[in-house]
Amino acid sequence: MPSSHIILITLLTAAVRSGTVIIFPTIGEIFTERSGVMNLGIEGMMLIGAFFGFLVTFYTNNPYLGFIIGTIAGGLSSLIHAYICITLQGNQVVSGLAMSIFGAGITNFYGNRLANNQLKTTLKIIPIPGLSDIPIIGKVFFSQDIIIYLSYFFVFIMWFILFKTKAGVHVRAVGENAQAANAMGINIYKTRYFWTFFGGLLAGAGGAYLTTGYAPFWLDGITAGRGWIAVALVIFSMWNPSIAIIGAYLFGSLDALQFQLQATGTTIPSSLLAMFPYLLTLIIIIIATVILRVRHIGVPKELGKPFFKEEK
Amino acid sequence: MIKIEKREEITTKLRIIVPIISVFAGLIIGAVAILFAKVNPLIVYKSIILGAFGSRYAITETLVFTTPLILLSVGLIMAYKMFFWNIGAFGQFILGAIFSSYFAIYGSPDLPRFFMISIMMFASLAGGALWALIPAFLKAYWDVNEVISTLLLNYIAFNFLRYLMYGPWRDPTSHGFPLSKTFPINAQLPRIIPNSRVNLGLIFGIVAAIIVWFIIKKTKFGYRISVIGGNPIAARYAGINVSRDIIIGMLISGALAGLAGMVQVSGVLHLLQIEINPYYGYTAIIIAWLSNLNPIAAILVSFLFGAMISGGYLIQLTLQVPFGIISVIQSSILFVLIGSVFLLRYKVSFVKRRS
Repeated sequence: MPSSHIILITLLTAAVRSGTVIIFPTIGEIFTERSGVMNLGIEGMMLIGAFFGFLVTFYTNNPYLGFIIGTIAGGLSSLIHAYICITLQGNQVVSGLAMSIFGAGITNFYGNRLANNQLKTTLKIIPIPGLSDIPIIGKVFFSQDIIIYLSYFFVFIMWFILFKTKAGVHVRAVGENAQAANAMGINIYKTRYFWTFFGGLLAGAGGAYLTTGYAPFWLDGITAGRGWIAVALVIFSMWNPSIAIIGAYLFGSLDALQFQLQATGTTIPSSLLAMFPYLLTLIIIIIATVILRVRHIGVPKELGKPFFKEEK
Repeated sequence: MIKIEKREEITTKLRIIVPIISVFAGLIIGAVAILFAKVNPLIVYKSIILGAFGSRYAITETLVFTTPLILLSVGLIMAYKMFFWNIGAFGQFILGAIFSSYFAIYGSPDLPRFFMISIMMFASLAGGALWALIPAFLKAYWDVNEVISTLLLNYIAFNFLRYLMYGPWRDPTSHGFPLSKTFPINAQLPRIIPNSRVNLGLIFGIVAAIIVWFIIKKTKFGYRISVIGGNPIAARYAGINVSRDIIIGMLISGALAGLAGMVQVSGVLHLLQIEINPYYGYTAIIIAWLSNLNPIAAILVSFLFGAMISGGYLIQLTLQVPFGIISVIQSSILFVLIGSVFLLRYKVSFVKRRS
């Protein structure tokens, strides 16, 4: 096999792994925003998920347990945001920022002792018999860990829920016109709490996958802005889970390419390579926004607006 | 049962009490977090206070940390008044530092100090403004979400700084450390308290706060941006050129963040390095909201937060308590503050259930 072939496979395999870190939070945020709640705390909740994922795996050597606990930790932290934004009708942008600062602070505070430690056991690579023998695709998509296989189904299921089920109709109704949805008998508060919590779980999952699968060590601020990339990809995906996966793999490819170039000892400084995914995300978001405007696809109309049921 | 009514008006008393309660609540949440780490929070808080005010040196260091926070938060207030979500103060701060450092590193050390400092100030204002104008134009003309654009620009700015520090601007005699050469005397912002790092930047901050207060309260532009902040669509119908005002507002906002960057490198560090403090840009967001978007109040709140940072470094040094606890306290303050807005807007009272 020519070596360029091997490099390509390594690159794409890493791209899928890196993309998986982003795909969960992006889909979570799509649903949270669809319900009318903006959560800019993804970065913080991912850090919390990443930390708990690492912590649990570090002490139990069970990355699956780590992944689950990290996911739950992300979900629980989102309840702070839900309470402030839904019950107390606080400003969603500011509350989300507070969550991101909180996540960075709390994981620095408790994680400092563990900094630079590595995990002994990580999510195991389980090649799928048969499928993994397909050239290139088999290695890239079907010689991965179980969380990645889960993510393939997950994207489809979430797309199905959003567009083909009653729950999907409800969440979209709440996000497009809360008063009308309320008149239809949908409980706005419950819907928003549920999908905000759901978004938190998935942010936690993304973070936990980062430390139990993609980068099995602990560093201060290990998510390095991936939470913000996820927020950006929500716009890119036009609030559609099936487009989100393209965006996530696109970012994953950039991220992997950047690492690959560094590893092969290119003359381009690593700092400029590290800048590259953020710069390209910015350009993509600009293009996506312009397309959205031309095609009149708007943000969920209730996004960022609190709902208050007046007592009669 | 609990009865909730809309408040007719928000009293000044409430406006002052709520932030104060938020600070205390944040400190309590921080104490709980410290307890979980099996450390006595009273010892930690005592050390923070000592680190902030315990000696002449401590007080001057608190003022050093206060200085960039004033400039950054006052700049952010300008943006937040128009509800432009500038999260990019960190990146604008870095650009200001880079632009001004260029002249300090490559300029002639023989230029008169006043002249050199003026050039550096102008460069930092331009650098910060440039970095703020990108998201402002993107927002004004293409409606690109500014939260995302300003944030991504932070990462781009930071990696650009890393590039300079590991590459062309690194001092060959720094033994591989990512530092520039030390600025010559003419590129050092004068210090205003002897034997301390307190510099002229503190005065810049206070003057900037007064100017921004004046702009917001007393000028037509200030009135227009508060209309834009209230309802941009209504503002457009009222004949306000929203795009132009957003661009002008962000120009000021970014310029002040850039100036903060210059103050940090020219007044405090006397060189450019990677660690020019990533916390400031985000801390300033909290300060802006805690001061209720009032530039004068921001001076006091910046002092409080400067004290926390100063104390935070001491506990890290003496008690090995990680600095992150300061972010936990600050974000908790913000959570409580934002949550309390409900209490400002609605009156919650307990009434007996009628049976």
